[in-house]
Amino acid sequence: MSILVDQNTRLIVQGITGREGSFHTEQMLEYGTKVVAGVTPGKGGQEVHGVPVFNTVREAVEATGANASIIFVPAKFTAQSAYEAMDADLPLVMTIAEHVPVQDMMGVYHTSLKKRCRVIGPNSFGIISPGKAKAGFMAHRIFTPGNVGIMSRSATNCYETVFMLSREGIGQSTCVGNGGDAIPGSVFADILPLMNKDDETKAIIIIGEIGGGEEETAAVYIKDNVKKPVVALIAGKNAPRGRSMGHAGAIIGADGSGSAEKKEEVLREAGVHIAESTVDIVEIIKKLGV
Amino acid sequence: MDLMEYKAKEYFDLYRIAGPRGFVVNSLSDLDGLEVEYPCMVKAQVQIGGRGKAGGIKPAKNKTELEAACKAILGMDIKGHLVKRLLVTRQVEVASEWYLAIALDRVKKCPVVIFSSVGGVDIEETAKTDPDKIIRVNIDPIVGIRAYVATYLVSKSGIDASYTTQLADMLDKLYTLFREGDCLLCEINPLAVTPAGELQALDAKVTVDDAALYRHPELIELRDEMESHPLILEARKFRFLFIPCDPEGEVAVISNGSGMIMSCIDVLSKNGMKTVAALDLGGGATGDRVKEAIRICLSEPKTKALFINIFGGITRCDEIAAGVKGFIDEYGSDKLVVIRFEGTNKEKGIAVLESIGKANVVFADGLYEGVDAIKERRATL
Repeated sequence: MSILVDQNTRLIVQGITGREGSFHTEQMLEYGTKVVAGVTPGKGGQEVHGVPVFNTVREAVEATGANASIIFVPAKFTAQSAYEAMDADLPLVMTIAEHVPVQDMMGVYHTSLKKRCRVIGPNSFGIISPGKAKAGFMAHRIFTPGNVGIMSRSATNCYETVFMLSREGIGQSTCVGNGGDAIPGSVFADILPLMNKDDETKAIIIIGEIGGGEEETAAVYIKDNVKKPVVALIAGKNAPRGRSMGHAGAIIGADGSGSAEKKEEVLREAGVHIAESTVDIVEIIKKLGV
Repeated sequence: MDLMEYKAKEYFDLYRIAGPRGFVVNSLSDLDGLEVEYPCMVKAQVQIGGRGKAGGIKPAKNKTELEAACKAILGMDIKGHLVKRLLVTRQVEVASEWYLAIALDRVKKCPVVIFSSVGGVDIEETAKTDPDKIIRVNIDPIVGIRAYVATYLVSKSGIDASYTTQLADMLDKLYTLFREGDCLLCEINPLAVTPAGELQALDAKVTVDDAALYRHPELIELRDEMESHPLILEARKFRFLFIPCDPEGEVAVISNGSGMIMSCIDVLSKNGMKTVAALDLGGGATGDRVKEAIRICLSEPKTKALFINIFGGITRCDEIAAGVKGFIDEYGSDKLVVIRFEGTNKEKGIAVLESIGKANVVFADGLYEGVDAIKERRATL
């Protein structure tokens, strides 16, 4: 089955005429993703790689029956683009840009609850269901179809893990980039129910990091609901306190809050296998024989 | 970005949050012609807590005492922070000390109001020993603060109901600052109650969201001015993020992503090696920029070895290798540089590294292999 993104996804690219939007539209089309429309205000009527461009999301949805959107606009315009997509009643909106202001994302998140829209990102590589479709900018050649579901706050740690899994002949069902920001649209606990229900996903990998409480809420859900094997890596065990490690969300408080030790402890209690590194994730998955 | 107290107080003034006005003093000559109300307080402006206990806050009853206090505190070293600036404010008579803050609740993804009728320097202790004394109310960011919130804070904490209007007013102003100022934290501790029953913000702590600085351009300049680490500033010129880590570290790490940097530091640490600093290249770095990144990391005097760990997607391995070659050609360093990369143009990159032909430049085919390569040579560094 895979989750969220597949052959039935009819994708809009917001910001399709920009450098990143245009380049990754081509990449997504090459991978087989049904990119049905693009949106750039003032550029309606044009085409990008054969995809029709509209001035607004509403017009794009009316004309093409799109059911998801990916936002490739700069951080300062991301919130407005997300509101536009939610107003057009799209059930899935993915946002890519890094450095979206926290105040903007709080508004987007609380609106998404009211609109029953699933927002992924910001600061995310998107979502890929290998062999079916991708919505995002990930280098898709390293992914292979299979039975491991992955959720990650970090793009690079996810790529590294996927590269090694694929090399060992272990494919992936769906990989979701939750993103490295302080206020992500979706956290692990929001995606876990989907991965838990998905027949194709036989094991789940969580690539977390220091800061926030996303691993803790995931542990609560796993403990009560998940029977599939779960492997987790928490990056940043040795990061200095009170200093953001690049991702806005990856910061241990001066009081030690958001530390890796606490996250590992609650995940372990929930029956999750804790990996020491990306290399170790692959070793554990191999041992589990998924 | 953590604002210093004087800057946070400027914001408080702008939003009419009641509290003693202050004067900024950078040198003793700034005191000339200053109309100070006595008795006053002289407060060191540093981005570190515990300045009071370190002698960074002194009262003064007259001009002579004021000058003596300024002289004593300016240039003081508070936990490694040099005092270059002071704030001089009127002394306020305090009947009791409360705590009021608006912070970010990352789990609920909304602002949270935090209030306590037992504020002051021991608030963190209170949070541990008497958590019921700390009251929290989550705020829907789309709605803002409802009228009942102040009533709830007053009622729940058992303070006199006559304070409700004043507290509601202060809360509203603080929330407006939190929202308009793109803040992650606005904290008043202590929130003083004077013998006359007036609320006064005696200290101000404001953290502004770095991602929103483009909406507050005056802060961008201030951020560079406040940053004292030369390599952070140097790295910013090239749009790199330089992160000082363990002062006792010996290995510097260059990588192309926050997650990968953290993983790399963790694996080094697991192998008994401490990381002195890390540099994030971001995506798609060219050879020229990689060369600068290496130069910056090796100009940290504590760096004995450099570990470059790249997963190449947008970033190409041959560009990384070209950066290493460019650096060695230009500066001819003998420090150990271990390079591990995977992904786009890996073979090309290896060929470039081999063409350098220096014993201190080592390619490792894997994260663990790279860490081992440093470990093996550790004794000779």
